[in-house]
Amino acid sequence: MAKFTLTNGKIIVKPFNKIWLVLGALIALVILFSYFIPLDLVNFKPDQLPIVLKKMFTPQRNRTWADYFEFIFSLQDLLVLTLQMCYGGTVLGSLLAIPLALLSSKNIVKTKFVYGPARFILNLFRTIPVTILAVLSISMVGSGVLAGIFAMMFFTFGIMAKMLYEVIETIDMNCYEALESTGANKLQSVRFAVLPQVFPVFIGYVMYIFEINVRSSAILSYVGVASLGNVIRENELIGYDRIGGAIIVIFVTSLIVQFLSSAIRRKLQ
Amino acid sequence: MIKFVDVQKTYPNGVQALKGVSLEIHDGEFVAIIGLSGAGKSTLLRSINKMIAITGGQLFLDDVEISSIKGKGLRMLRRSIGMIFQSFNLVKRMSVYNNVLTGRVAYNPTFKTVFGLFPKADKLLALESLDTMGILDKAFIRADQLSGGQQQRVALARALTQKPKLILADEPVASLDPITTVQVMDDFARINRDLGITIVANMHHVDLALKYATRIIGIKDGLVVFDGKSADINDEILVNIYGRSLKHDELLGE
Repeated sequence: MAKFTLTNGKIIVKPFNKIWLVLGALIALVILFSYFIPLDLVNFKPDQLPIVLKKMFTPQRNRTWADYFEFIFSLQDLLVLTLQMCYGGTVLGSLLAIPLALLSSKNIVKTKFVYGPARFILNLFRTIPVTILAVLSISMVGSGVLAGIFAMMFFTFGIMAKMLYEVIETIDMNCYEALESTGANKLQSVRFAVLPQVFPVFIGYVMYIFEINVRSSAILSYVGVASLGNVIRENELIGYDRIGGAIIVIFVTSLIVQFLSSAIRRKLQ
Repeated sequence: MIKFVDVQKTYPNGVQALKGVSLEIHDGEFVAIIGLSGAGKSTLLRSINKMIAITGGQLFLDDVEISSIKGKGLRMLRRSIGMIFQSFNLVKRMSVYNNVLTGRVAYNPTFKTVFGLFPKADKLLALESLDTMGILDKAFIRADQLSGGQQQRVALARALTQKPKLILADEPVASLDPITTVQVMDDFARINRDLGITIVANMHHVDLALKYATRIIGIKDGLVVFDGKSADINDEILVNIYGRSLKHDELLGE
C-alpha cells in the first residue's frame, strides 16, 4: 500500500495489488514441486540425444541413403490410410459437435437443464483417451480403417464441442437479439446471427484438430488400428532409421496441413 | 393501435421497471419516449414486441392481448414490428444485402432459410428497402465496412423489409455523431410520413425528441408523468420528468 499526498493536500491510497499474492503462490508451488517430484538425475543422459537422432535420420545396419528414401516413399499406402482415417474422423466428429456445442452454450439455450447435461456429455467424451476410444471402436466394427475413423470421430467430437461452445459464448449477441425481434425462430436466429460469426473460427479448428489427429494417429497402431504408427511399433528396438523415416512423413504431412490451414483461415478473415 | 392497461414489469432481481403504465398509441403517430436512464423507457418499448414479457396489466396490439401469445404466434407478431437498436445490431461479418434479407427470415420456412434460400420477391424487397434508404450501392459490402450512420440505415432497411406497421427504436441515434443523427432522424420522419409507419422511439436528446416526434411520453420511475403534444412541452414539464433541469448532454444543441 502506497500513500500519495498531492501538492494541494489531497491524500490518495493505492490499494494492495493482488498480483503479489499470485506471485507468492507461484513461488511456493515451485518450491513444493522441487520437494515433491523425485528428480532422479542419475539417469539423465543428454549426450544420448544426438546419438539417437543420428540413428533415426541416417541409414542404419548396412542400408544406404537410397534404401532410406525408398522406405520413406514406400510409406505412402500407410499415409493414405492415416489420412483417410483422420479426414473421416475429423469431418464427422466436427459436424456432430455443432449441435452439442449449441446446446452447451449458455447464451443460446439459457436453461441450466439443457446446457448442464450437454456439457456433461462432452466432458465425458473428453475424459476418454483416444486409445481407449480406438479399443471400443475395434470392439464395435473390428480393426480396420473404420475403427480408426470412429476413434478419431469421438475424439474430435469431444474437443470440438468444447472449443466451439466457448467461442459461441463470446460472440456478439446484439444481432441475435435483432433476429429474434424480426420474428425469426431459434434455428433461424442461430443460422443468421451465430453461424457467420463462428464459421471462420470453426474451419480453423477443423484444420487444427485434423493436424492433431494426424499426429496422434501414430499411437493408434499400438491398439491395432493400422496407421503410420505401425512403422514405429514394428521397429521399436532395432530399426531407428525406419522410425525416423515415419517421423519425417508425419512431420511433413502436419507441416503441409498447418500451411493449408493458415492459408484457408487467412482467406476467411 | 397499441394499448397499455396498467402495465407492470418487475424483474426477477426485484427491480420494478414499470409501475402501472396506461396509454394508447394510434396508427401513424411518431412518439418519443423521454426520461432519465433507468426510468423504464427501454422496458416500455421492449414490452410492445414482447422482447420483455410484462408481469402485470394488459397490453393490446390491434385489440389482441399479447401477454398470452407465445411460440409461433409471438413470432408472427414480431415479424410485423420493426426494431432499431442503439448499436445497430447488424451481423457484422455478413453483407449489407444479407443483413437486410434477414428481415424476411420469419416469413419463410425454417428449412429453406437455413440454406439461405429466399423467394425472388423477398430479394427484390430487400434491395428496394436499401434503395429507399439511399444505400443501394452499398448492398454487397460487408456491414462492418460502413459508418455508424450507414449501419443504422441498413438496420432501418432491414426493418422496412419486414413490411412493418410499426417500428420500435431504442435510442436509435445515441451512438451517432450530431450530423448523422439529424440525417437518421430525418429518415425516421420520412418513413413515418411517406409510408405511414408508426414510430415509437426512446430518445436521450430532448431537443431532438421535440423536433421530430409529434407526441412525447415522459417516464419517471416506471410511471407516465407526461403524455401530450411536443408543442405543449415546457421547462416546468421537463423538470418534472427529469427531476431537475436538463444537463448539457441531454441536448444535441443546434
